[in-house]
Amino acid sequence: MKQTIPESSDETLRPHSYDGITEYDKRLPNWWLNTLYITIVFWVGYWSYYQWLGIGQTEAEVVSIAMAKIEADRLSATTLDDAALWKMSQNADYVARGKVVFEANCVACHLPSLRGKTESPVAIGPDLTDTKWINGGKPTQVHELVMKGVLTKGMPTWGPVLGAKKITDVVAYIMSKHREGEAIVVEVSAPPAPTP
Amino acid sequence: MPTPAPQFPNRDSVTTIRADGSRPFIYPADVRGRFASARRISAYALIAFYLSLPWIKINGYPAVFLDIAQRRFHLVGLTFAFQDLWLLFFVISGVGFSLFFVTALFGRVWCGWACPQTVFLDHVYRPIERLVEGDAVRRRALAAAPMSLEKILRKALKHTLFVLVSAVFTHLFLAYFVSVPEVWEMVRHNPTEHWSVFVFMAVYTSLTYFIFSWFREQVCIVICPYGRIQSALTDDHTLAIGYDAVRGEPRGKSGTAGAGDCIACNRCVHVCPTAIDIRQGQQMECVGCTACIDACDDVMTRLGRPTGLVRYDSMRAFGGQKTKWIRPRTILYFFLLLVGASVASWAISTLRPANIGVTRMVGAPYILDDVNVRNQYLVRLVNKRNSPADFVLRVDDAPAGIRMIGFDRPVTVPALGEVVQPLILQQARAAYTGPFHFEVRIEDLARSFHLERKVDFLGPEARLLRATEAPKK
Amino acid sequence: MPAQKITLEFNDKVVRQFLLATILWGVVGMLVGLLVASQLNFWQLNFNQEFLTFGRLRPLHTNAVIFAFVGNMMFAGVYYSLQRLVKARLASDFLSALHFWGWQAIIVAAAVTLPLGLTRGKEYAELIWPINIAVALIWVVFAVNFFWTLARRREPSLYVAIWFYIATIITVAMLYIVNHLSLPTSLLHSYPIFGGVQDALVQWWYGHNAVAFFLTTPILGIMYYFIPKAAERPVYSYRLSVIHFWSLVFVYIWAGPHHLLNTALPEWLQVLGMTFSLMLWAPSWGGMLNGLLTLRGAWHKLRTDPVLKFMAAAVTFYGMATFEGPLLSIKSVNALAHYTDWIIGHVHAGALGWNGFMAAGMIYWLLPRLWNKPLYSVPLANLHFWVGTVGILLYVAAMWTSGITQGLMLNATTENGTVLAYPNFLDTLNTIRPLMLMRVIGGGLYLIGFLILVYNVWQTLRGAQPVNGTIEVFEDDGQVPAEARIGLLGTFFNPPVVFSILGVGFACAWMFGQEALSIAGLVGAILCVIIAYVHFASRGKTWADWYERLLVNTAPFTILTFVAVVAGGLIQIIPTVVSHNAASNEDRKQIPYTPLELAGRDIYVREGCYTCHSQMIRTMVPDVLRYGDYSRLGESIYDHPFQWGSKRNGPDLARVGGKYPNIWHLRHMEDPRSISGGSNMPPYPMLKQRSVDVPGLTPKVNVQRTLGVPYPNWTPEQIAARVKEQATVIADDLRAAGAEVGADKEIVALIAYLQQLGRAEAVRASTAKSAGDE
Repeated sequence: MKQTIPESSDETLRPHSYDGITEYDKRLPNWWLNTLYITIVFWVGYWSYYQWLGIGQTEAEVVSIAMAKIEADRLSATTLDDAALWKMSQNADYVARGKVVFEANCVACHLPSLRGKTESPVAIGPDLTDTKWINGGKPTQVHELVMKGVLTKGMPTWGPVLGAKKITDVVAYIMSKHREGEAIVVEVSAPPAPTP
Repeated sequence: MPTPAPQFPNRDSVTTIRADGSRPFIYPADVRGRFASARRISAYALIAFYLSLPWIKINGYPAVFLDIAQRRFHLVGLTFAFQDLWLLFFVISGVGFSLFFVTALFGRVWCGWACPQTVFLDHVYRPIERLVEGDAVRRRALAAAPMSLEKILRKALKHTLFVLVSAVFTHLFLAYFVSVPEVWEMVRHNPTEHWSVFVFMAVYTSLTYFIFSWFREQVCIVICPYGRIQSALTDDHTLAIGYDAVRGEPRGKSGTAGAGDCIACNRCVHVCPTAIDIRQGQQMECVGCTACIDACDDVMTRLGRPTGLVRYDSMRAFGGQKTKWIRPRTILYFFLLLVGASVASWAISTLRPANIGVTRMVGAPYILDDVNVRNQYLVRLVNKRNSPADFVLRVDDAPAGIRMIGFDRPVTVPALGEVVQPLILQQARAAYTGPFHFEVRIEDLARSFHLERKVDFLGPEARLLRATEAPKK
Repeated sequence: MPAQKITLEFNDKVVRQFLLATILWGVVGMLVGLLVASQLNFWQLNFNQEFLTFGRLRPLHTNAVIFAFVGNMMFAGVYYSLQRLVKARLASDFLSALHFWGWQAIIVAAAVTLPLGLTRGKEYAELIWPINIAVALIWVVFAVNFFWTLARRREPSLYVAIWFYIATIITVAMLYIVNHLSLPTSLLHSYPIFGGVQDALVQWWYGHNAVAFFLTTPILGIMYYFIPKAAERPVYSYRLSVIHFWSLVFVYIWAGPHHLLNTALPEWLQVLGMTFSLMLWAPSWGGMLNGLLTLRGAWHKLRTDPVLKFMAAAVTFYGMATFEGPLLSIKSVNALAHYTDWIIGHVHAGALGWNGFMAAGMIYWLLPRLWNKPLYSVPLANLHFWVGTVGILLYVAAMWTSGITQGLMLNATTENGTVLAYPNFLDTLNTIRPLMLMRVIGGGLYLIGFLILVYNVWQTLRGAQPVNGTIEVFEDDGQVPAEARIGLLGTFFNPPVVFSILGVGFACAWMFGQEALSIAGLVGAILCVIIAYVHFASRGKTWADWYERLLVNTAPFTILTFVAVVAGGLIQIIPTVVSHNAASNEDRKQIPYTPLELAGRDIYVREGCYTCHSQMIRTMVPDVLRYGDYSRLGESIYDHPFQWGSKRNGPDLARVGGKYPNIWHLRHMEDPRSISGGSNMPPYPMLKQRSVDVPGLTPKVNVQRTLGVPYPNWTPEQIAARVKEQATVIADDLRAAGAEVGADKEIVALIAYLQQLGRAEAVRASTAKSAGDE
């Protein structure tokens, strides 16, 4: 290119040359250097907060507290003793909400009538309205069962799908078909293998 | 601290880094001209566009509302579900590729005309600075002046305005993700109620303020990778801002015998926001802001010489040859752009107003009871429309005698909602001959669309099923 | 005294050999990469062949690209520049040839063994122990050849490129040897001597620093030679070279734990990993800026010169990757990005952009000089650049989108944060499937670009005559005068070194000391910084003078480099090995595997399951909701090697045991899609055919016992009996569920292994506290 380029600068090269490569000895911007110092100060502060002074919570503590909160949410349903669940089953609000959940998720096996096999021999799920229970008929036991499921029988674990609140609702709905203090029969549950 | 005289730009060093590592603040002189006006108009249009998007409502939602909390995205009246987020790829790669294409033709026009850094700096922050502190000469004088009431007042006013403007820009950015009413709601409440958002906004606003009040051209020179990539994407036919050395050299005062058109007035250097001398050729720092073009044209006009000593042109043209617009590379890019646009349109056309997922329930793959083999699934229906929709589900291609349980009625999914429901298939043991595939199909009541999923029905080996049955009888 | 002037011919033959090997293995590595990327989208491309499954080929891809492609490129660049920078021919032609052929033999051995499933099960350290020994030996050959050449140099002072080469050679040797310490169980199999958390820490100390000292420092050295050469410009700043070299080699080593954030790794290590990663930003950018500002003076040539284009883009990608790295090391960002494609995108921005483009720039620059013929076609080289950049754009855009989408989906919750929005992993996988295709297209374009290079090279070499560089030197050039030697005392007793060592020592006392010592350490560190600053401000000249003298002293320079790189590793690894073992752990302790489960685990490792499945539930609510209680340090303490994983193409398996019946696993292994619609896992029907190597279990159990796993002293018969007993139970259960499988088959062992994942005994939380609190 024939244009004349003023390259004049008072920059001095270092005296040495390696295979023709020369070096300036310029400074980089101070702000760049400052970012290094800032990150070092951040390390000191962060270490102090979490390790040296121990003010910050550990990861395990944080997640345990968060999970405890979620657990509490679930427990607020389950530790609700039988009495409370019975009470809910009398509450129109709970029952109405539970009915919606039931009709969305449970009718496939237990039928809209809740009567399952009693109503139709081809139904999959057992009758939820009679006094015979396979895994225990106390409201808390029912709650636990919906939460965890019975894998071998095909009852899914609804806990992770529905969450604690909806399960409480649906249990309230089921128990609304029962009376507190009714005589119940508990059958021994099947052996835990998917054997025919 | 005494400020060393500003270094005259040269090829060996970065003007904005002094020998001691400190940074000389640049006071680019005012410039007027056709490019300055055009850039101003386009910049204000872009800013207006940016600021207004969260306010404009289309189909009941802001024109842009990336609602991560509710897991849906509203874009100019369309609503996308989380499952459509992969389309973001076309946005990122489309923007990136357009940048390649435009750069191949026009060089760093993005930097000079459309980059938020340049747009906000040149058309919001610098005008404010100009208004409060005066032109370049006065700004430099003010900076050098000893502390005085006037200096304090002017500086305070300028920085207050900068902080305010930064806060407005960042809060509107937040509105893209949480909507304007929500931002307003948060602003009016105590920060402790939304601590993390508050801290984020404080940091973000400070950073914006810092970048536009002080850091400025350092972003383009040191931080930003796109400028460099763009430089590497130019070639000899690419348009760029350059100096016509053939016409300009040798420099000399007007009237000097044998002198070229450049009168060495250095106006082009004084107006440059990155402190380079465009006459030294293409440089890393040049963001293509066109200030030097306007400055030089102004001088040339006053001297009665033709404008364009500094102009947008290709290196070919500066060397006296012709610029080729259509060249293998631009053809290739155009072709790739077409392919990309077609794929993107096709991908968007495959979007349905709903989404379906069929997954097996956690636990046993199949369940055997006394008479049946059973498979259980969970079907997730996503309604992406703004109104409730009824979905009908049916099972195709399954052997005769398969009983489907669940979905015997249409399922109503609320507007922009999701429903997860069980689907159970069972086959009589006697009819069972082994695993098979089937298809789950959904459509809405109006049959405006349909979606299918291939699913497997599993069971034991038929031979073993018979074997276990035999002794029972 | 008039010296004899002689003409020296460089050994450029070995440079040419390495250069061509770079091109060959580059094509192979990228082709395998394209295949494994396609397999993620089209499971059929696993071809139902056990040696072509993703789990076995992914290690082949990573090893080929790192050690074959970049390795050969590094050797070519180092040997070319070294001879010229020190004005000496490579010391030994024999060692040079041995280095070349030995390295190629290692690559071929890797390409054979990895598809056969012979692996150590640790990322980028998969090669089996006999090959490890070969790698170590060839590396020593390289080192001897290198330092011997340095000893014969005619240029007394060491140029910055040489500093980086020295750091590379000693650090890679250290990392490689420590992370490959193993006890063999047979000719082809071994167990790493570290287990569980110790293995995790050592692995990522190695893995992270393989990136640092195999993919970065040698390439920085190459940058310091080839950029000033190609740009014909002086290097921008010598003092910047000094600052960023020492800060980079010192800080990099500490950052390894950022690969293990939010895991069971003790928290003090996580804090160090994160904060040192942030500190790494400025040193990394120091290198980038020095390259960039060197190029700056030749910016106008960027338009026409493909070599400069590639190098400018490479340096820019280096800057982007080293900005993204510290960002990803921030715990909260990492919580979203880790295990997702974002990380893969990050790595490829570095591999494709930085390594690949530096290699291309170097190749285009070297070709005309090594074969004395102009490049066949400059436009084709430019086309390579344009196609390559589009490829990177598509690749990175796809991976960012994919990573962020999947990360957000996996972490999304509803019902007030108590229920996962997408409880099934497949929901998230199916969402990002299209992006996996886009990434293949991006990678494909990049490969096309590279094939254009291959064509260009081919055409250039046709009829070209190789030529060796020469130089005229005086015979007694470069004698280091005796007074310039600094000796051991001078190496350590000088202001910069004394202040650095004191500063680090005080900082460590502060971090790890008890109360009084800790406070003393803090005060000491602050005083040290102040005094050092004052001393530097007033006597800075002595610092600079000492450093100039250091540059003519190879051994002291090497020793100081070693001291700088060894510090971080020692401080992190020794406390971990001493205090975080089976005897002192968190509240849970792993139950040793039964022999059958151990056999199953070896199959899991052999098939590379860890390339897609993690076994580490992080301390994050979404992880705990999805996979169960977060993983404890004690739960994998007997795992040699650890299998925490680094990427989740499938769900975490840390607690998958007992979640599904045996039949589920069987059907899932035979045909993953029959169970999980839309899954991209390869099918493993061959596991139903192959039998477990029961006799081979005896040496394995014995080695595990030697390594500290509490196995009784079983006889081979006892082991066989135990295997049979457990396998029969599983086979019977499968039969009852309707599937016939022989009890001796590998699938049974694998199911046994999977079904016990997450099993641990609760122990008293005795020493759950981190070493930092001790």
